[in-house]
Amino acid sequence: MTDKTQKKTSPKKSLIIKIVILAICLVLAAIAGKDFWELRHYKETFVASEDLTEVKWLSDYVPSLKGTWNDGPVYIFDSGVPGGTVLYEAGPHPYEPASILSAYVVLENAKVTKGRLIVIPVASMSAWTEGMCGDAYPMFYHIETEWGTKQYKIGDRYTNPLDQWPDPFTYVNYPSGQQLAYQDIRNLNRTYPGRANGTQTERAALAIVEVIRQENVDIAIDCHEAEILYPVTSTYVAPEKSLDIAMMAGMNLSATQFLMKCEASPKGLHGLSHREWADYTDAMPFLMETPEVFIDKITGPRTESLMTEGKDEFLQKATDAGLTYFPYEEDFGTPMWYRAGRHLSGALEILFWANQFDPDLGIEMTWPSYSDLEANGVGYYLHDPEAPENKDRVQYVYHEPVDKV
Amino acid sequence: MLFFEKLIHILYFVMAGLVLLCFLKHLFKRKKNNGIVFDIMYAYCCIPFLLRILYIK
Repeated sequence: MTDKTQKKTSPKKSLIIKIVILAICLVLAAIAGKDFWELRHYKETFVASEDLTEVKWLSDYVPSLKGTWNDGPVYIFDSGVPGGTVLYEAGPHPYEPASILSAYVVLENAKVTKGRLIVIPVASMSAWTEGMCGDAYPMFYHIETEWGTKQYKIGDRYTNPLDQWPDPFTYVNYPSGQQLAYQDIRNLNRTYPGRANGTQTERAALAIVEVIRQENVDIAIDCHEAEILYPVTSTYVAPEKSLDIAMMAGMNLSATQFLMKCEASPKGLHGLSHREWADYTDAMPFLMETPEVFIDKITGPRTESLMTEGKDEFLQKATDAGLTYFPYEEDFGTPMWYRAGRHLSGALEILFWANQFDPDLGIEMTWPSYSDLEANGVGYYLHDPEAPENKDRVQYVYHEPVDKV
Repeated sequence: MLFFEKLIHILYFVMAGLVLLCFLKHLFKRKKNNGIVFDIMYAYCCIPFLLRILYIK
C-alpha cells in the first residue's frame, strides 16, 4: 500500500510532506524540551533561620565535584557553644521529596543553642533535575501556606544520564568490590564511601563522607522514603555503634506518636550510608524511612494528590490482604505533613536518646516536630521568600551559587 | 580516570548526534519503505536524540 501511495506522490510533494512532518516533530520536541529544561533548571528557595551561620559547597570537600550538576550547598548552623555536631542529610533520592521538605522545615526554623547543625537539603542534586525515566508523573507538587502556594520539585532516584552515562553491565562498588545492579552506579546510596576520581555519583558520595569527617560529625542522619510493599519502610536502619539509640528512639516513637521500626545495618551490604558512614567515619549513622505510597508499583495513577495525600484503593486492598509492611489506611493516606513530620521527630528523638546515652555529647537544637505539623500543617512552617522582611535570608538550592533569579 | 570518564561521556553525545543524522538521512533519502508512516517514524525518532545533544533530556 505504501509503495502505491508513493508512486502517486511527486518527489516535490513528497519532500514537502517530509519537511512538514519533521517540523511537527520539532514542535513536539520543543514542547517536551521546555518542560524538561524547566525541571532541570528550577531553583527552589527557602528562607533560612536566623541561626544559619555559613554556607559551604560539597565541592569544598571534594574539589573534583566543582562545576558538575552533583555539586550542592551545605548549610551550617554553629551555635558558638562547644558541643556535638549533627548532620541532617536529605534528598539522597529526590523522588522521595518529603525528606527534602523536612530539611526545608529544619533550615527555616532550626534553633541551635549548643553544638553545630549541618543540613544538606538535596544530597543528590543531579537526580533532582529529572523525573523517573518511563514513569509518567508530575514534575512538581505544591504546598499551601498562609501567604500562598509554594512549588517543589519531584526528582528521580538516579543521577541524571545527562551527567553520567553510560552505565556498566554490572556496577562494582568501590572499594568493597561488591557487585550491584547496573543502574546503581548512578544511585548515591549505593556508591558510598565514594572516591575523588570516580564517577560524578561516587564523587558526591565522597563529598558527603568528607563533610562528616572534616566537620567532625557525631550524629549523621540520612532521610529517605520507601514503598509500603518494601519491608524497610517506617524504619530506622542503624549499624552496631548507633543501634541502641535507634532502638530506644524507635520504641519511644512507636509507643507515643507513630510506628517506627528498627533494623540493623547488614555488615555485608556495601555502598549504603548506614554501613559506609559507620565504617569510614567516626559518626554514628542513622537512616530513616517514611512510607511513600507514590513509589509503590501497584497504585492507581501517579498524580500530584497521590504524592501529597497518599490515598490509594489498591494499596488498601493489599494491606487488607496482609501484603504490606505498614498499617496503611486509605482514609488517612500518607500526607506530606505526616511524612515530613515523621522525619523531623525521628531526628529529634535520635538527638534526645544520643544525649541520654552520652551526656557529654552536648547537642541542643530544635525544630518543628511531628505534633507541630499535625496541628498546623507543614505550610505553616514555610516562610514567604517574597516578603521584604525575609529578603536577606532567601537561599537558592541549585548546583551552583545563585544570588538572585 | 576522570579524563576517560569524560571522554566516554562525550563520545555518547557524539553517538547521539550521529544517530540523529542517520535518522534524518533515512527520512529524506531512503530506497525502501517509502510510505508516510515511515516518514513519521523517522522524524519522531529524532526527538530523543535531538534533546540529548541539546543537553536537555
